[in-house]
Amino acid sequence: MISTELRVIQRRGTIALAGRETRRVLALWTQTILPPVVTALLFLAVFGGALGSRIREVEGLEYLTFILPGLLVMSTIGPAFANASTSLYQARSEGYIEDVLTSPLRPWQVVAAYVTGSLVRAWAVALAVGVVATPFTSGVAHPIAAAAALALAGLVFASLGVIVGIAAETFDHHAFVANLLVTPLALLAGVFYSAHTLDDPWQTATRLNPLYYLVDAARYGFTGFHEAPVWLSLGVTAVVAAVVFGIAVALVGRGWRLKP
Amino acid sequence: MAWRRARFVAQDEAVTSELDRRSIALLVERLEKVYADGTRALDELEVRVPAGCFFGLLGPNGAGKTTLIGAAAGLVRAPSGRIFVFGHDAVSDPEARLLIGLSPQEIHLDRFLTARELLVYHGRYFGMPKLEAGRRADELLEVFDLTAKAKTKPNRLSGGMRRRLLIARALVHHPRLVMLDEPTAGVDLEQRHELWRYLRRLHTEGLTVLLTTHYIEEAEALCERVALIRAGRIAAEGTPAELVSRFGGTRLEDAYLEAMRP
Repeated sequence: MISTELRVIQRRGTIALAGRETRRVLALWTQTILPPVVTALLFLAVFGGALGSRIREVEGLEYLTFILPGLLVMSTIGPAFANASTSLYQARSEGYIEDVLTSPLRPWQVVAAYVTGSLVRAWAVALAVGVVATPFTSGVAHPIAAAAALALAGLVFASLGVIVGIAAETFDHHAFVANLLVTPLALLAGVFYSAHTLDDPWQTATRLNPLYYLVDAARYGFTGFHEAPVWLSLGVTAVVAAVVFGIAVALVGRGWRLKP
Repeated sequence: MAWRRARFVAQDEAVTSELDRRSIALLVERLEKVYADGTRALDELEVRVPAGCFFGLLGPNGAGKTTLIGAAAGLVRAPSGRIFVFGHDAVSDPEARLLIGLSPQEIHLDRFLTARELLVYHGRYFGMPKLEAGRRADELLEVFDLTAKAKTKPNRLSGGMRRRLLIARALVHHPRLVMLDEPTAGVDLEQRHELWRYLRRLHTEGLTVLLTTHYIEEAEALCERVALIRAGRIAAEGTPAELVSRFGGTRLEDAYLEAMRP
């Protein structure tokens, strides 16, 4: 078989696996899409609506406008992580991952397919939140920066989800990472506040949080306001995304915890 | 001149060896597998399954049958040794995967998909266009008497139906070597004979079949050649008649018991 023929076969296989993942997301929409949308809208209602009337403005922006980009990042990373980790963990624990492992797909194609399903879920959630919030905000200042921030946020956490999906020995391990790493990082990333208005140690803690830079870049994309160098933040995130994706590919390639 | 002649001889041997490998459906060379708990499942195992052969692998539980099949199909990491499928390295060459159809011992089916979707997605993972995979799925559902269950999810199928679906899945992408790991375990007698009929038909169509089983009569009824595996090594290999004549007795069961004696 010539290599181009094999590449076509592998490309079709990758699309099929990504399709299977997307299909799972859509079939289970009450579990995969609805809850994070409701959570984000509750944040918007409470912080943007109820508290927003008292806070008024942060850094010259309406409070709802200020928090929306961070909420979109939060709405992207949580589902992206959860989707890849739970889907892969289920496939492993129930054994049907063997259908994928025996296929001619290369490790990077397997990871890419799982990441694709996760991105569909993450961006569906972000889109739903964005559509609901749009009437209350003033548009997108820098669409490319906004799209890049959400894309990279999804990519980093979907790849991380693949790693956790492979590493987790029980479902609790997945929940442990989600509850003790992803959620705290998200809440301490300056979504609801401006870092430079805080006193130490909170300001330092916020600036040490890598997610802060993604939220800041997303805020620049949506509102034009930023505290850190945007393109440096996006560049570093792109490198982190490549490294995390690479680690996921290496684990699949080695068959770590996938093959005895 | 002598060195040049020697080089030509070496090249010639290499070509012969490559041709030889391609004519062998499954060639396993010095394969070792030691699991994390220290269990040595395969111990420098050597086996060759000729193309077009109905080949049986018999051995007690823990002898290494499933590990061997898993290693060939990419489900088990083998620390050393080599496996070739029609000349393609089973570990490094993705093309080898296209040539293998696997029906594992344990039934693991994607619970998010219906019976038909399972077959279609499997075909697509192996590069079949969607329409072709759909046609093939319908054909195999018909063959395995599962058409009425096409829209049923696997957890709502009986054990026998799930087993048949697993074998159908192994065949979707038109493999040249089908590895069936205890395909009739837990299947009632009538269905077992039905499966035997289908497996014979597949074999007459040119497919190489590697079958592991605990039913000696199954191996006797189906297999042209049989390898007896014990403690990760091949204890004996030949046609059922050859094994009987080598170990004595009147049936393959006698030869098996004799070969397995420590």
